[in-house]
Amino acid sequence: MSMSGKKALVVDDEVHIVHVAAIKLRNNGYEVITAGNGEDAFELACNNDDLDIIITDYQMPVMTGIELVEKLREHESTSHLPVIMLTARDFAIDDEQRERLGISAFLSKPFSPRELLRSVEDIIHQSAVI
Amino acid sequence: MPRCNEIDGLKPVPRSWNYMLSYVRNLGLAGLALVTGGLLVMIFAAKSSFSISHPAVLCGLACLIVLLPLGWYWLSLCAQAGAIARHLENGEPERIQTTHGLLPRLFAGPIANCFQTRNKRLEELQKQLSNLQIQIQLSDRRKDNIQAIIFSIRDAVIVIDGFGKLLLANPTAGELFGFDISNAGMKPITELVGNPEFQQLLDQSRESRAQHIKRHIEFATDENTATFDCVTSCVYDDEQNLCGVVAVLHDISREQQAARAKNEFVNHVSHELKTPLASITAYAEMLVDGEVEDEKARKDFLAVIQEQAQRLNRMIENLLNISRIESGLMKVNKEPLSLTVLIHQVVRTLKSYAAEKNIELVEQSPIVCSQVYADGDMITQVLINLLGNAIKYTPVGGSVKLRTEVDEAGGTANVTVTDTGHGIDEKEIAHVFDKFYRIGAGSNSAKGTGLGLNLVKQIIEKVHNGRVFVTSQPDSGSTFGFELPLMSEQAAVV
Repeated sequence: MSMSGKKALVVDDEVHIVHVAAIKLRNNGYEVITAGNGEDAFELACNNDDLDIIITDYQMPVMTGIELVEKLREHESTSHLPVIMLTARDFAIDDEQRERLGISAFLSKPFSPRELLRSVEDIIHQSAVI
Repeated sequence: MPRCNEIDGLKPVPRSWNYMLSYVRNLGLAGLALVTGGLLVMIFAAKSSFSISHPAVLCGLACLIVLLPLGWYWLSLCAQAGAIARHLENGEPERIQTTHGLLPRLFAGPIANCFQTRNKRLEELQKQLSNLQIQIQLSDRRKDNIQAIIFSIRDAVIVIDGFGKLLLANPTAGELFGFDISNAGMKPITELVGNPEFQQLLDQSRESRAQHIKRHIEFATDENTATFDCVTSCVYDDEQNLCGVVAVLHDISREQQAARAKNEFVNHVSHELKTPLASITAYAEMLVDGEVEDEKARKDFLAVIQEQAQRLNRMIENLLNISRIESGLMKVNKEPLSLTVLIHQVVRTLKSYAAEKNIELVEQSPIVCSQVYADGDMITQVLINLLGNAIKYTPVGGSVKLRTEVDEAGGTANVTVTDTGHGIDEKEIAHVFDKFYRIGAGSNSAKGTGLGLNLVKQIIEKVHNGRVFVTSQPDSGSTFGFELPLMSEQAAVV
């Protein structure tokens, strides 16, 4: 499945995680922009209307992944964006919160870049069908 | 033999004996009256003109002849009866002597038997009384002991009877429920305990007669709410009738807090361990999948894997060391050492690392030997962590200064490491020595384990009774330091 032209935002305070996720997505035809914390990510999301998906870490300084998603949902131009959340904590979020925030998928750290790519493609495909 | 009147309330002589003896006495008095009457008649006859054959005189003479010995004898009996009565009244039946006359011969045996039986009974009663007194004393002592034990228990203990009235409460219970235990006895528990859930538990225990009921109940205290583990136990008599209920309330707030802290810590540790592990697995998978084509990128990936594996190892080592120190299992080898010498060695070790970033390391102190009594390896670790952090967070071209001072008045040796880095935000300063806290975690600067400064704090404060400190101004650098007690003369001799 070719996803050329699709744009993803990868957010994590761990530089290496951002780097490896970005390479995997770029190698598969995605345009990738990156941020090291939630605040910067929100600014990028607001300034990039062509954004298709956000991959964010759960635990970050300045603004956590959950706070970022809450802020995205409040903002008109970003409320629709699908979000994949990376987390190293088990049971960090319950189903009710997940549904309320509209988080499309969770990936547990350590995660597989292959699995990340597959999730991103599935979610973008579903969004396109809808 | 005990005397009869030793026991209050008991007449020394049976009442029937008293009646009989007084009757004998009265008969004696009557005889005496008759003799006196006869004598009077004789005197009257002598003084009057009556002849000897006059019936009155004859009657008087007859009275004198017949009744005089009889009266005499009655008088004797009266005296004997009086003596017997006196001995009996005095509780001295053994003094009644049978040689004294007819009455003692008649009554001494039965009286003595009676007294013997009576004295046996008295002895038995006295023994029973003595046993009862001992039992009462033992019971009182047991009650005092039980009360002392219950009062010494740190948990709140409440004992109520089968009707819900307070029998006993210890001071902890009084404090918890806010009543004065000294005058709360036999008051309905509903008047003393405001917590409806606890009242319901006591009611349930009394009504169900269940041997044990356990429940966690929250109580509002002055500052916040505390959770208590409440266990009620029913007490039964020999016939399995309910005598009362004992409730023991154990404060588990701290245990819950500790469990939460432990859970949080485990979560935090797993998160921190998973983070480098995530990089390692992701980069390894990328290499396996051939996502990296050029050699330089491949080498970069391998370098990341190596770096993250080392980070993981450091994290585990630091965690183990902190855990060992906290649990007191760390082997400590204290010896007289010079901080300045250690600083010099550490500076030599980290010189190449500083040179990579063109950072100047400045030592300001002259070498002073044997300043402190400390574990050399641990203090070296402290210096490496502080100096390493300073180099890590100082921009290229900056400088790091190390300084040792001796505060003779305060009795401490102080070491400070001052960098020309970005400084630390005021909000972050209070947390820099916390476990897993990373200074400037939001920035893309070098990542640490979040344990290095906590290890410094543990080594200095827990192992060496010293103190760590930090001062900083954003954009103008930071100073991390520690002070250790100066070596005492005794330690120097050792």
